Amino acid sequence: MYTTSKFRKLSTLLAVFIFLFSASTLQAFEGDAKNGKKLFKSNCASCHKLDKKLVGPALTGVTDKYSEEWLKKWIRNNAELRASGDEDAIAIFEEYNGSVMSAFPTLSDQDIFDILQYTIEGDVKQVPPGGDLTGVTTVVVESKDYSKQITLGLGLLLFVMVMLLARMKNTLRLVQGEDPVSILDEAGWFWGRLINNKGFVTVATIVVTVLFLNQAYWWMSGIGVEQNYQPEQPIAFSHALHAGENQVDCNYCHSSARHSKHSGIPSANVCMNCHMYVDGSEITDASGNLKYDGESSPEIAKIYAAIGWDGENREYIEDYEERPIKWVRIHNLPDLVYFNHSQHVNVGKLECQECHGPVETMEEMYQYSELTMGWCINCHRETEVQFEKNGYYQDFHEELTEKYHGEKITAAKIGGLECGKCHY
Amino acid sequence: MTENNKYWRGIEDQSNPELSEKLAQNEFSNEISQADFLGNDELAESSTSRRDFLKFMGFSTAAATLAACEAPIVESIPYVVKPDSLTPGIANYYASSFYDGYDFASVLVKTREGRPIKIEPNNDAIFNGATNARVQASVLSLYDGARMHSPMMDGAATSWKEAITKAQSLLTENSVLLTRTVISPALKSAIAKLGLRHVSVDAVSQSNRADVYEALTGVRGLPTVELAKARLVFAVGADFLGDWGGENLNSAYAAARKPGSDMLRHIQAESGLSLSGANADVRIKAKVSEYESVLAHVYNKVANAVGVATVSAPALREDIKLSVEGVANELIAAGSGSLVLNGLNSATAEKLAAKTNELLASEAFNTSRLDFTASGSDTDFAALLEDIKSGDVTSVVTLDTNVLHFSSAMASLAEKVSLVSIADRLDETASKAAVALPMSHYLEAWTDAIPVDGVYAVGQPTISPLFDSKSAVEIVNGLAGGSENAIDLIKASASTTGNAKAWNALLHDGFATTDKMVEMLYEVAPSVDLSDVKVSAPLKGLEFYTYTKAGMGAGSNANNPWTYELPDPVTRLSWDNYVVMSAADAVAYGVEVKAQSNGSMNGNTINITVDGTTLENVPVWIQPGQTQGSIGLAVGFGRTEAGKVGNNVGVNANSLLAPAVSYAEATVVATEVEHGFASVQLAHTMMGRKIVNEINLPTFLSGNAKEWNEKPTFESYKGPLTSFEANLWDDQDHETSHMWNMSIDLNSCTGCGACVVACSLENNVPVVGKDEVRRHRDMHWLRIDRYYSSDMTKEVAEEEGVGAIEKYAKMEVPSESPSVVFQPVMCQHCNHAPCETVCPVGATVHSREGLNHMAYNRCIGTRYCANNCPYKVRRFNWFNYQVNDKFTDVNPSQDDYGRMVLNPDVTVRARGVIEKCSLCIQRIQLGKLEAKKDGRQLTDGEFTTACAQACGSGAIVFGDVNNPKSEVSHLKQEERAYHLLEEVGTQPSIFYQTKVRNRA
Repeated sequence: MYTTSKFRKLSTLLAVFIFLFSASTLQAFEGDAKNGKKLFKSNCASCHKLDKKLVGPALTGVTDKYSEEWLKKWIRNNAELRASGDEDAIAIFEEYNGSVMSAFPTLSDQDIFDILQYTIEGDVKQVPPGGDLTGVTTVVVESKDYSKQITLGLGLLLFVMVMLLARMKNTLRLVQGEDPVSILDEAGWFWGRLINNKGFVTVATIVVTVLFLNQAYWWMSGIGVEQNYQPEQPIAFSHALHAGENQVDCNYCHSSARHSKHSGIPSANVCMNCHMYVDGSEITDASGNLKYDGESSPEIAKIYAAIGWDGENREYIEDYEERPIKWVRIHNLPDLVYFNHSQHVNVGKLECQECHGPVETMEEMYQYSELTMGWCINCHRETEVQFEKNGYYQDFHEELTEKYHGEKITAAKIGGLECGKCHY
Repeated sequence: MTENNKYWRGIEDQSNPELSEKLAQNEFSNEISQADFLGNDELAESSTSRRDFLKFMGFSTAAATLAACEAPIVESIPYVVKPDSLTPGIANYYASSFYDGYDFASVLVKTREGRPIKIEPNNDAIFNGATNARVQASVLSLYDGARMHSPMMDGAATSWKEAITKAQSLLTENSVLLTRTVISPALKSAIAKLGLRHVSVDAVSQSNRADVYEALTGVRGLPTVELAKARLVFAVGADFLGDWGGENLNSAYAAARKPGSDMLRHIQAESGLSLSGANADVRIKAKVSEYESVLAHVYNKVANAVGVATVSAPALREDIKLSVEGVANELIAAGSGSLVLNGLNSATAEKLAAKTNELLASEAFNTSRLDFTASGSDTDFAALLEDIKSGDVTSVVTLDTNVLHFSSAMASLAEKVSLVSIADRLDETASKAAVALPMSHYLEAWTDAIPVDGVYAVGQPTISPLFDSKSAVEIVNGLAGGSENAIDLIKASASTTGNAKAWNALLHDGFATTDKMVEMLYEVAPSVDLSDVKVSAPLKGLEFYTYTKAGMGAGSNANNPWTYELPDPVTRLSWDNYVVMSAADAVAYGVEVKAQSNGSMNGNTINITVDGTTLENVPVWIQPGQTQGSIGLAVGFGRTEAGKVGNNVGVNANSLLAPAVSYAEATVVATEVEHGFASVQLAHTMMGRKIVNEINLPTFLSGNAKEWNEKPTFESYKGPLTSFEANLWDDQDHETSHMWNMSIDLNSCTGCGACVVACSLENNVPVVGKDEVRRHRDMHWLRIDRYYSSDMTKEVAEEEGVGAIEKYAKMEVPSESPSVVFQPVMCQHCNHAPCETVCPVGATVHSREGLNHMAYNRCIGTRYCANNCPYKVRRFNWFNYQVNDKFTDVNPSQDDYGRMVLNPDVTVRARGVIEKCSLCIQRIQLGKLEAKKDGRQLTDGEFTTACAQACGSGAIVFGDVNNPKSEVSHLKQEERAYHLLEEVGTQPSIFYQTKVRNRA
């Protein structure tokens, strides 16, 4: 009996499952949701979400409301459809206050099916193989450092050898009929001789002093050098995500680097260019669940709080008292030095990374370079001036080439080491 | 015996030796328990012992020290929504207009990150595009914490609504609106809407002169002058380079005085040595009370020549009679190229001058285009005073006029009226007002103006009001019951003044021409009628007059440190006003000015009595060129409610003489009190050296430059070599890229001081205050030296056989009627710089672009460089002026408002370093960078230094001499060009142009 009931239960479950599965396959377009997701992200995501109204309506269940043919027409060219007097089309156009959806005439039927399939399936939770895993263990491969063990082993060997020698010496003494001497006595005798040797003491003192001063010098020259300074920022902004994964150009946010002495921290309205649409609600955790229950990410919400963006109604709050974001400045130059980003980025054509390091891999920004004068000067000595295609240098270039007999002309050679170029 | 002597310490010793002994053994006789001592029982029970306390102390000190090693956290706060027009780090410029009742200027306001930091001339402007020292300094007045922070009612802050309601309740039909000259059409219509009787009065009055033109044309204003059309200008008491009317004549004057056969000749008759007098070719010393008779004599002579009726005039002093007659003859000879200017606030003098111009058919004197910037009426004001006295007027609204300061008559009547004051601060007037309404600074306000016929100018805000203040036009409109914003009022006004430009274009340019001359009611200038003219007789005794100073002007910048720190161009004194007196008078009244052992100057003070009022302990400065029997005192000083900077600096000249009165008889008594002057220049003559090379026009025209601009040479085996050829150093390589040079034309420089203020603002030069200036620790990177001629010259000595010692002693004494020259001196950027070779740490080094660099962060303050500099242009920071308590009252960087004016591209120097002119390297670097970014070559004049930019007369020209097309490279080839102290062999990058005087 027990087996039967268990079997029954199982078969019922199976039946339900099969039914559900077949139902969904019946409803589905013959589309590939995976490809659909890709297409959705590149074409639709700026105005639509699956589960939430954005600029346009939420798309989950859109296939229930409208026919396949209609959707194809609407997506390809909704204006045409409206012009043809289609009631549904006009109704939806009016519902969204006449905001015009772009036409996508290049999408093939299959593309559209893929997208629609994606709206049905949604973000499929990825169940990791092996069943229930609450967390993903990261396997960190470290190259092991054995130098400590080696040193220790060698030390031990040395100790054993010293003991052996001492033992041997005592044995020889015993053979010669003398009293054995303890190793400590011998060491004491040796030390006594050393400490009374003026030459040794002098040399040792000098060596110790020089070593100490050397260390002190290096330590002191490090004061104020904030290399690797990585303060905690008010928003956990990841350059790795923005500049690395999403390939946003540095100049998009730090636009004034090309024009001004300051690279400029983007104002919140620049963030909003993207984050008006990307609110982080779609971020999933490792198990594929929505991380923030469909709410916007708490970090992105900080931008909204700063500028007064109402995510629900998708509008800026009127008369909102703006709350500027207080970033912690990482790259600090003293007041006595003048540095101009545009000189280096625009005229010198340096990549941002040459001074700021691999920003596109930094989860949290840190100071990559020393930012000391020696560091500046060194680069000025090594970097060639970008004469090409710059009319400013038109006349000087020839004169300088003649003067330096074709040597490479560095920033230093055109006055890049002069005090007054940076200090005024 | 002696060893056993016992000395009692007091009577107690003897009376109770035992007790004394005990006390001696135990000094602190009463044992006080720890708990008693601490006065707290709980403490005794506490487990914290003294040792623990020390441990905690030690720990926290160590912790604090360690924490201090950490760099402080610097926050970077971006905009939430960045304005489109603004990029952090890039300056924005806005056109605006300055008018304070005295100066008018079309300006460009440089802003950084939304803060105005510099006023620059609007070179496109059609009227007064140049900026003088006062306009340059005006930006600092914006950041004056002494300004009113909110409307005030009975001494307490209140809201605008309540203040306006209260003010309106004080107004009756008989109330009067008292203003300075109003040139704003928008403000005029708001005033008309308010419907009160309107009286305007100026702190520096031209009222009687304006009366003449009002009677003639029906329009109140002053004639304009076109110096370009003049060949000879005769100015009587008219300091037209300083304070004459609203028109800035500096650039026209400099242009007309380019050396050549058609050079403008300038003769000045005046009492005190003014800027114009200092620049004149010939100067006649006349008392202020003699101005009318001087003009009358000139007129009579001209009238005789033309054949019209003369006027009766008192006889002239014998010693000036000949000169005046000579002037008249010259004027007749120059005919329509001549111009007579009068500066005396007297209808008679103005009529005589105007009529002389009319008879000579002067082309430069223009009465059909009037200037409205000084058109207040003393007659109206006198009538108002009468009405207040009689009780007809019981409430007065003052608008931007500190009438209780400059009018003692009004001050004495202040109790009889209830005052509503629209002012920028609780000044002498507003502090007495029942309601004081804060008026925005011009950089925060919407304004407009018709300064002169046919020109309409607007002023736009460049920053939100720092305090709860409003534009003047909005306040008056509000009092009249209106609710419009200032911008709407100005827009409405702009649309009705008939200017041709669209609103945005108007804001962009800052000015517009109006097709119809707005107030122009006349076509042909009518003839001046002299029938009722009565020339007053000169005063027999000592006369007292008031004048204006280059820094102070009429006094609207009275709490602005730059107003005071800028030394007077002529006396070279800062932070003071004082009586100027001739040396002969000084001997007669027994006053002296003496140099002190510490290098400062001290002088005697006097009590001056005019018309029963006495001003006590007024310092006396003995001024060469001052007319005997005439003493002058500058107005605008002696403030009590201006703010911490301006309060109690100098004395109030207007307490003796109302602005309406030009001069009065005075009695003077020397006092015992000594006064310390802050003088920046002790040497008054050049001692026969070629510091300022000065020649007369015939010499110049002779063309023999080798003679009049002789270059020093050195004998050598190769024959005579110039200092450029005879040279021990290796030459610097200046062939490639740029070589920055500067030409300073001493013929164009009028000494006005605009460059000094511009330099200070551009380069964050600290203000140091009177005490430090007295120690010659002034920090100006650019100074304008002033030299007087002396009666003793090498030639005279040779002729008269005077010995060397006596000769040089006499050469130190300026002449009683000296010629005056001005010479701006900044770092000369020597190519063989003496400073560079002595610096032990290499803090000052040469650049390949011809500049002498100064690295403050390297400087350790040995001051060798300053000692080795032949031009004395290096300044040492004796203090951290921006934090030291000693400078709280004078240095603007000591509060958060004042710091906002600092130029963010220039370091604020710390104590213990030398600083000096960098030739505005921040501008050079920026200019080059802009060209590099655009990928183009630099064009001449694309950028220039702050001093060259501020110089209205174009005396300073900056540029690249390696560019053969540049203006400066042409100027370097001029035969007038020479280097300062060329014989020293420093090969400066700055060179000067010989001064040429138009006299034989």
